[in-house]
Amino acid sequence: MGKDSVSIKGVAEGIYIDVKGNDLDSIVGELELKLKKSGEFFKGAKCLDIRGEEISKENSLEIRLLLKYKYDMKVNIPELFKIQPMETEKAKFSPDEKQTVFNEVEEGMTKFVHGTLRSGQEVSFNGNIVVIGDVNPGALLRAKGNIVVLGTLRGVAQAGIGGNTKAVVAAYSLLPTQLRISDIIVRPPEDDVQYKYPEIAKVVNDKVVIEPYLPNK
Amino acid sequence: MDNEKLGTAIVITSGKGGVGKTTTSANIGTGLAALGYSVVVLDADIGLRNLDVVMGLENRIVYDIVDVVQKNCRLKQALIRDKRHEKLYLLPAAQTKDKTAVSPDQMVELIGDLKKDYDYIIIDSPAGIEQGFQYSIAGADRAIIVTTPEISAVRDADRVIGLLEANELHDPKLIINRIRPDMVKRGDMMNIEDILDILAVDLIGVVPDDESIVIATNKGEPIVTEERALSGRAYRNIVRRITGEEVEFINLEADEESKLSKVFKLIFGK
Repeated sequence: MGKDSVSIKGVAEGIYIDVKGNDLDSIVGELELKLKKSGEFFKGAKCLDIRGEEISKENSLEIRLLLKYKYDMKVNIPELFKIQPMETEKAKFSPDEKQTVFNEVEEGMTKFVHGTLRSGQEVSFNGNIVVIGDVNPGALLRAKGNIVVLGTLRGVAQAGIGGNTKAVVAAYSLLPTQLRISDIIVRPPEDDVQYKYPEIAKVVNDKVVIEPYLPNK
Repeated sequence: MDNEKLGTAIVITSGKGGVGKTTTSANIGTGLAALGYSVVVLDADIGLRNLDVVMGLENRIVYDIVDVVQKNCRLKQALIRDKRHEKLYLLPAAQTKDKTAVSPDQMVELIGDLKKDYDYIIIDSPAGIEQGFQYSIAGADRAIIVTTPEISAVRDADRVIGLLEANELHDPKLIINRIRPDMVKRGDMMNIEDILDILAVDLIGVVPDDESIVIATNKGEPIVTEERALSGRAYRNIVRRITGEEVEFINLEADEESKLSKVFKLIFGK
């Protein structure tokens, strides 16, 4: 891309940035040059849009983030890309609170827990939880999404908090004290047979079913 | 309180850990329910709960005592009905919290509410004399001290009796747990008189050391319903004494002798 692939247009409400092409490096290079020349002029300015026929969504987002965080401009970051604030380990969400349903079961924020969770320890997260270790009786996992335990799950696991019935709980060894998915609560039968293979728990017709996810092993 | 049912709250405490408070609580609660009383056993050991495990109800817990005092749920929602006894309920402790989650005032209110609907509230207190002990005894009308025939346990029991008196809980009853008549006889273990001499409180029961308690605890089935076990019989007697009945103490030594003599007979054919 040659010169003038970027032009800045000012209107009463703020500025538009018109770009030609989709070459991020040259666009950013030229944009930064222009912004530097104008010194502090654009600081705090409101960028209304990045306009260009060929610019991709990803590159447009890159430019927006650059303007927002490097040049302190007011930029709309599309909802989809909004950086979610990290939940703290003991994020509180009481069961009675009305929650928006967390729909991401295929993807989404995931918390990794390294090591064994012991009695009295609790991990709550606004997305999925993966435990690389065991979860002992008396420990509690609470996730809005899925729960995966790369070890033995003996404690209580609560997946799909807020009404997500698509959430699953999977473990190498699934021997929970109690399982909760969405608002369904189940406990193992009294004469529980302990299976030696990995299993997954999910909701089918308002019931929690547990089945091996590697049926041939 | 009002002219509704007015139950009795009994705290099971010891000071020292591991003397059998939780086992005793489970057995007394179950025993009272077996006699037809409505009972709530309350696990006050927040952060180190066990009563649910001993009663085999761990996997039914959804809400706990902290949820109740913090009004996350209604009291009835947190009460878990026992598997065998219809009139027996467990109010479990929270495991992921600690003892600062409940105050003595909240406990008084909670137990006041329970007493309106149930005949007996059995409070399983945590070991120690800190906050957990303070809120455990706060709502109690009576106290039962559990000790084992060891000098350290007796010393702690003595301390606790003093603390109970300072908190206006007078006339506590004593359970001597895990006594071994053969050792007492040989003079290797403190005997009942020695213990009573130091503690100077009323004895409400003596429970022999019994393997079947370990088995029952691991199975989550209190021994008190086990007809044949000597320890089960001891607990049944304690329960009857709690309800005000006069029950003679089991002569453990005599029983031990007869057992021994049976063995002798088997071996020597005498």
